[in-house]
Amino acid sequence: MITKIAWRNVWRSKTRSAVVILAVAIGVWALSFVLSFSNGITYTYISNAIRDQLSHLQLHHPQFPEDKNSKFFLENTTEKLAQIQQMPEVEAVTARVIATGMVSSARTARGVQIVGVNPETEMKVTHFEKNIVEGEYFQADRKNQVLISQRVADKLKVKLRSRIVLTFQNLDGEITAAAFRVAGLFNTGNMLTDDVQVFVQAEDLKRNLLSLSAQPDSTAADLLQSQDISQEIAIFLKDAKTVSEVKSKLKSAFPETLVEDYWELSPDIELYETQINTSNTIVIVIFMLALIFGIINTMLMAVLERYKELGMLMAIGMNKGRIFSMIVLETMFLGSVAAPLGLGLGFLTVFLLQDVGIDLSAFARGLERFGISTTIFPVLDAGLYLRIAIAVFITTLLASLYPAKKAVKLQPVEALHKI
Amino acid sequence: MSVIEAKNLTKVYNPDTVPVNALQGVDLTIEKGEFTAIVGPSGSGKTTLLNIIGGLDRPSDGVIRVDGEEIANLTDNQLIDFRQKKIGFVFQSYNLIPVLTVAENTEFVMLLQKRPKAERDKRVAELLESVGLSEKKNVRPSQLSGGQQQRVAVARALAPKPAFILADEPTANLDSASASNLLDIMEKLNREEGITFVFSTHDSRVIDRAKRVVTLVDGKIGTDVVQH
Ligand SMILES: Nc1ncnc2c1ncn2[C@@H]1O[C@H](COP(=O)(O)OP(=O)(O)O)[C@@H](O)[C@H]1O
Ligand SMILES: [Mg+2]
Repeated sequence: MITKIAWRNVWRSKTRSAVVILAVAIGVWALSFVLSFSNGITYTYISNAIRDQLSHLQLHHPQFPEDKNSKFFLENTTEKLAQIQQMPEVEAVTARVIATGMVSSARTARGVQIVGVNPETEMKVTHFEKNIVEGEYFQADRKNQVLISQRVADKLKVKLRSRIVLTFQNLDGEITAAAFRVAGLFNTGNMLTDDVQVFVQAEDLKRNLLSLSAQPDSTAADLLQSQDISQEIAIFLKDAKTVSEVKSKLKSAFPETLVEDYWELSPDIELYETQINTSNTIVIVIFMLALIFGIINTMLMAVLERYKELGMLMAIGMNKGRIFSMIVLETMFLGSVAAPLGLGLGFLTVFLLQDVGIDLSAFARGLERFGISTTIFPVLDAGLYLRIAIAVFITTLLASLYPAKKAVKLQPVEALHKI
Repeated sequence: MSVIEAKNLTKVYNPDTVPVNALQGVDLTIEKGEFTAIVGPSGSGKTTLLNIIGGLDRPSDGVIRVDGEEIANLTDNQLIDFRQKKIGFVFQSYNLIPVLTVAENTEFVMLLQKRPKAERDKRVAELLESVGLSEKKNVRPSQLSGGQQQRVAVARALAPKPAFILADEPTANLDSASASNLLDIMEKLNREEGITFVFSTHDSRVIDRAKRVVTLVDGKIGTDVVQH
């Protein structure tokens, strides 16, 4: 009965209720859009990072991540690759030979990470070839080709087909230098990595790494064994949801190897997510504050306007608890009509925009620096909608308390006498 | 046992600022089945007296017993409960809940008391029958005339079978035909079902219909006459 009265009371002052409902709904709409948008940024950022750089899982020698020293390598790479490729969850896998060193032109030199890739499998994991903006990806028959970013090319003042020298320590700790020809210039859109990575073919790098390590008395088998090394194995999965499952499988398959998922590989992803979450929370709280005052104001009007009626209700035996819950319910009804409306509109907007995306190229320079692509696709997220719904629920509940308290404080005699 | 027993009731409004002695030592006893009018000019203390009898206000001094219970000792929420069970109110206006239909209004207090649905339906039907509004049971109060609204108020007040009905100037906003019609119904209920009515008025046509007339003058009882 109280529910029935409360619900009907909401519609007594149709215009006023409609205005509040609309205001809340528009707020919820805007909020759900803004949050979907920021979710989209996060999602794009993470999925770009996974696709272009991190892949879902990586294998290293346990000491490699700390030192980045080539001597911490993985053995039996071929066998490992074959084993991983067989897992049903795995889309593609590739091995990399990595050395830390220097790239120098006739003019100048820079410290870089030299990444030796298998041109075939690397394409399947990171699609690195699509970042080539000038020149070509690795040609199978040519030796000592290097791919450098446009930024590094500018800094070294070299062009396509220029010769540059890569210097690094080989596995015996000796400094080795080798001349490479610039086969292509790339631009990944992420300045941070463009500045520090150059790419060569794994075979070329491995040959140089191992140049002096083959001892005169080693057998052919040893040599073969020692050549089957890599510093990194990167795995791209068919479905990102299987990451933790595949991770534990890999851990038990290769107990001496460090298996990390993209989360562990890139602490900035976590930092990024925390920051986005914090700012989302702040946005929600600001929104709630704005709503609270709007709702309190409306409900106070509704209570004061019905002073006599409330006095009569108390006179004929409706106790304070019931009056209180009636006002709370009325307020909650406002919210529960408005929230689905706003969320529905938000859903529709995001649904329509999620494939088109929002082009931010006007601000892209700033974003690219952080590896964020320039078109943002807002992301529909059930959890987000739940959070907004809960926020509206809490807001309306809080907003109802003061008017409800005001209502139960009235004395029926006085209320009935007011004209 | 008397339904209402008031001894030496006094009420002072604003005792600290501009004291108004609204009641100055009222003694009044009302028995079951009475049909009593409290009369007197405006400002004589009728509303004050009915509010105190009805547990809506507390006396400054004196004793008030309703159905044997001394109500001045009850807390606010206990008083609300007491009113709900023992007293049927009919106010001058704003009696009905505008968002409920006539039947729902009549049923309201029984619902608060969580009476079973069958009992409520039966009671609502018989009450609306006796106030002559059976056909209006599904309309909202705003669609009724003032007189019809007051009749619904009487039905609503009677629904939980209170000890008596307290009505403060129930006809003040009605034309004389409606007023007379309302009095007819009240009289009939009193005669046929023995319902106790205590109502205030300063309308001479209404006063004529009362069986007992208690006159208030400046917060004191002037005359107390049984008519007919
Ligand atoms: N809440 C109040 N505060 C102060 N004075 C009041 C209040 N209510 C009534 N009075 C005064 O008490 C006296 C009796 O009023 P009331 O009981 O309303 O008389 P009636 O109902 O007979 O017109 C009047 O002088 C009135 O002005
Ligand atoms: Mg009065």
